[in-house]
Amino acid sequence: MDEEPERAKRWEGGYERTWEVLKEDESGSLKATVEDILFQAKRKRVFESHGQVRLGMMRHLFVIIDSSRSMEDHDLKPNRLTSTLKLMEYFVEEYFDQNPISQIGIITTKNKRAEKLTDLAGNPKKHIAALKKAVDSTCVGEPSLYNSLNLAMQTLKHMPAHTSKEILVVFSSLTTCDPANIYELIKTLNGLKIRVSVIGLSAEVRVCTILTRETGGSYNVILDESHFKELLILHVKPPPASSSSECSLIRMGFPQHAIASMSDQDAKPSFSMSHLDSAGEPELTLGGYYCPQCRAKYTELPVECKVCGLTLVSAPHLARSFHHLFPLEAFQETPLEEYEAERFCEACQGELKDKSVFTCLACKKVFCVECDLFIHDTLHCCPGCMQTDRMS
Amino acid sequence: MKLNIEGLLVYFPYDYIYPEQYSYMLELKRTLDAKGHGVLEMPSGTGKTISLLSLIVAYQKAYPLEVTKLVYCSRTVPEIEKVVEELRKLMDYYAKQTGVKNDFLALALSSRKNLCIHPEVSSLRFGKEVDGKCHSLTASYIRAQHHSNPSQPVCQFFEEFDAVGRQVPIPPGIYNLDDLKDFGRRKGWCPYFLARYAILHANIVVYSYHYLLDPKIADLVSKELAKKSVVVFDEAHNIDNVCIDSMSVNITRRTLDRCQTNVETLQNTISRIKETDAAKLREEYRRLVEGLKEANVARETDIYLSNPVLPDEILQEAVPGSIRTAEHFVGFIKRFLEYLKARLRIHHVVQESAPQFLKDIYEKVCIDRKPLRFCAERLRSLLRTLEIADIADFSAITLISHFATLVSTYSKGFTIIIEPFEDRTPTIANPVLHFSCMDPSIAIKPVFGRFQSVIITSGTLSPLDIYPRILDFRPVTMASFTMTLARTCLCPLIVGRGNDQVAMTSKFETREDFAVIRNYGNLLLEMSAIVPDGIVAFFTSYIYMENIVASWYEQGILENIQRNKLIFIETQDAAETSMALEKYQEACENGRGAILLSVARGKVSEGIDFVHHFGRAVIMFGVPYVYTQSRILKARLEYLRDQFQIRENDFLTFDAMRHAAQCVGRAIRGKTDYGLMIFADKRYARADKRGKLPRWIQEHLTDGSLNLTIDETVQLSKHFLRQMAQPFRRVTTRTFLSLFNDLNQA
Repeated sequence: MDEEPERAKRWEGGYERTWEVLKEDESGSLKATVEDILFQAKRKRVFESHGQVRLGMMRHLFVIIDSSRSMEDHDLKPNRLTSTLKLMEYFVEEYFDQNPISQIGIITTKNKRAEKLTDLAGNPKKHIAALKKAVDSTCVGEPSLYNSLNLAMQTLKHMPAHTSKEILVVFSSLTTCDPANIYELIKTLNGLKIRVSVIGLSAEVRVCTILTRETGGSYNVILDESHFKELLILHVKPPPASSSSECSLIRMGFPQHAIASMSDQDAKPSFSMSHLDSAGEPELTLGGYYCPQCRAKYTELPVECKVCGLTLVSAPHLARSFHHLFPLEAFQETPLEEYEAERFCEACQGELKDKSVFTCLACKKVFCVECDLFIHDTLHCCPGCMQTDRMS
Repeated sequence: MKLNIEGLLVYFPYDYIYPEQYSYMLELKRTLDAKGHGVLEMPSGTGKTISLLSLIVAYQKAYPLEVTKLVYCSRTVPEIEKVVEELRKLMDYYAKQTGVKNDFLALALSSRKNLCIHPEVSSLRFGKEVDGKCHSLTASYIRAQHHSNPSQPVCQFFEEFDAVGRQVPIPPGIYNLDDLKDFGRRKGWCPYFLARYAILHANIVVYSYHYLLDPKIADLVSKELAKKSVVVFDEAHNIDNVCIDSMSVNITRRTLDRCQTNVETLQNTISRIKETDAAKLREEYRRLVEGLKEANVARETDIYLSNPVLPDEILQEAVPGSIRTAEHFVGFIKRFLEYLKARLRIHHVVQESAPQFLKDIYEKVCIDRKPLRFCAERLRSLLRTLEIADIADFSAITLISHFATLVSTYSKGFTIIIEPFEDRTPTIANPVLHFSCMDPSIAIKPVFGRFQSVIITSGTLSPLDIYPRILDFRPVTMASFTMTLARTCLCPLIVGRGNDQVAMTSKFETREDFAVIRNYGNLLLEMSAIVPDGIVAFFTSYIYMENIVASWYEQGILENIQRNKLIFIETQDAAETSMALEKYQEACENGRGAILLSVARGKVSEGIDFVHHFGRAVIMFGVPYVYTQSRILKARLEYLRDQFQIRENDFLTFDAMRHAAQCVGRAIRGKTDYGLMIFADKRYARADKRGKLPRWIQEHLTDGSLNLTIDETVQLSKHFLRQMAQPFRRVTTRTFLSLFNDLNQA
């Protein structure tokens, strides 16, 4: 991650009692605790390996963004709305990166109403553009949890049963203004197997606790901006599919990318089908992806064919969501003192200096903290095991 | 789990135990061993009730001859029910662990209103009506009439119980009020009388304070309880006020008017009876000559709990001649009544002691001290003789007779104050005679004297040493326990200043100050924006609340608050308040959020719990001192100073702080709960105030949370609320506890 989240000015932040965590050791030195804190920061990773669980790979997610008065609070910089939208952009990108065959939609709620910012769609660009535009909107009135959930439900309830239907609410306000009894709605959501998760920006609200508990979602409240990001990232990973959701085969198209250059005489420039509904000027392009069923042209994937309704993806997309199904098992953590072999990391070949070392349970190779993080977060496969596989 | 508490095997119906519960049981065991009294403070939500029950039951099982009975006194019916449920859990656990069928009899007792199963009577709405109606169906002479005249209605449940119920013991088990009713219905017995009869041989009795402390009721219900009982007063932080209330008498003009009608009824009945059944009156006369010997024998042989309204001396003597015949007595009461009426016809406040009052009454209407003393007993005898069915009508004259007996019996510890009008409405004449008890030890003395161990316990008893002093007893153990917490789930903050640095205080001189009121408003406004769901705010009095709310309305603060949360207000009207409470809870439940404005010492501050989202923050505006200008209070303070060497200021602070602690304690009702406690008055930061808060609150009150401004409070609260909203794993507490258990396992 090259861009550091903007640090707030010290005087703008909350009262932090940084001295309280520091404890002197016998010699009066702070070194031990400081090192411990740094180590903890490195290890700040959420262990949540599901093991061999079926995950909902095709996701339909509605993100509800609260844009009520309380979003103007300055505890996230420069204010809650801007910060949230910025993180949402990042989230949308990550989401499609990890779930290429899923869709997302965005709803905002303010002034006791809910409105759709974008419809359910599989193209990140459109969502990001909409999010960028929303930064300038004003935050007024109270949010309505009921209206926004209802709006999301209207679309989600028509989705096929094999997809995972989710709603993620970013809730900043502590009150909601509802036209009807929300507990009835929660029951309906539960009946439709729609999973609602909430990220609270200020404190724990009872109705959200009930909402998430009843629908099987998660409820978290942020501590600060980096925690907020962390919580959002948690939602990138597909949730375990409920056992009752049905299995079915899905037709998918894997279009070939036809490359044509200007010099090629046969090449004829044509319009992409995805320009049909976009407001911008249609452009003539030469190459593109052609739907194997109807030969409609698209410039980017994944997309649902406008003509025949086939889901078009590329093979790497599918492969990328593969690791969710078989996550790499967590490595065993052992304190450095107990480890008695040569002290260098299998991956980076650096010396093992941190408090703990990590051993892969399959190949018994040893890694340092940083490499452990990299392997689990990015690589999704153990380099040690790959090596042994190849040798055998 | 099984525990070994200094050699005593205690069955504890849960898999894990908190350390404070263990030490609580330890102290309790030592108290029982020493056969003395104890004062124990432990915060609510830590399982005080189950610790108490499991230890005492274990003690009873281990030493059946040392402790024969547990008398558990609580305040309200729901609390009583809760205790019985805990007990049931414990007994089930015993049965499961030991395989022996439960041989304990435990039961709850409440008023007729809660226990009656008679179809007509139980449909009545008020307790008094039920009592009166019941009496008119079950009194002995009614039943005698029924013999000769079968058309006279009686209660068939009582008849059935009287015929067979006394011989057949109620099978061992745990009975709450509903169980008793079911049992009664099945057998066709009256559950109320069954329960009253059964408490004599029950192992555990759970009932309200009043059955033990109020002399009128205690005499009927509790006087035969065995000496070797353990008495527990739960939620006893207000026990001194209960004692005082039970001994005090307030007489208004209305009481006297109703008393007048009572006297007339008596007179008519007497003259009627004289024509028809003169023998009955003669019989009563003869009995009165014999005196109250019977009662005397009983007291000497120590069968009964003594009754403070029935002083020792009068047991030795016969009823004096001047009130022995019915007419004379009625005449006597009439004279007394006229005297009281004359006394109420005044225009200035009079305060006098009991001897002064007696002297005055002797001079004015020649009423001696001695016959006055017998008034209560004499009236009771008369009512019995005249076979007056509906006792409820005679409450006024009974009250007067109690007053007469008390005033002539106690020369110390009481004061008489006659006020021609209320302080707030000096133009409306509403004379009241307060016969006010100043010494709570009078009512509770028989309890301490009679029972082997009396345990006083509550969540807020700090400072502990004041209770033994005002109740005049010597405890063998006094201890205060704190909560062990997996996370700091309470956050007490003392806000002393507004953002403009103006001190915030409800001190009398500055309470009308515009800046103070505005700052209080800003505090509530800021908090309403950051605290989720419910906030409960307490004011020091109704008048103060009204003033502030009116002022907030004018300044537009109220409007701003309402953008964040709905506002509900407690009023003096009970129906209105319960309506407000209901709506408040609804608003908290469905996410709208609400603020409840209420008053310390009001109904909300004492009996109602705001668990979890119903109270995420409690704000205490000002220090809830009692109304210090009240004459009754002044008299009591003087008495405390003279008799117990307690300085006025000490007592006032103690009283204010225990109410403040009660108020803020409403929000934390367990270890998984969390809440802010905001004390909005700079005076809380002083050591003398802070030191009087319960230990479990003081512990979390660091120097950094004293004398904050509103801004700082908001920052700290935001941080706290975010921390608390993080997922809370019970596992961590449990591992720690099981570790602890291993050490103590029997």
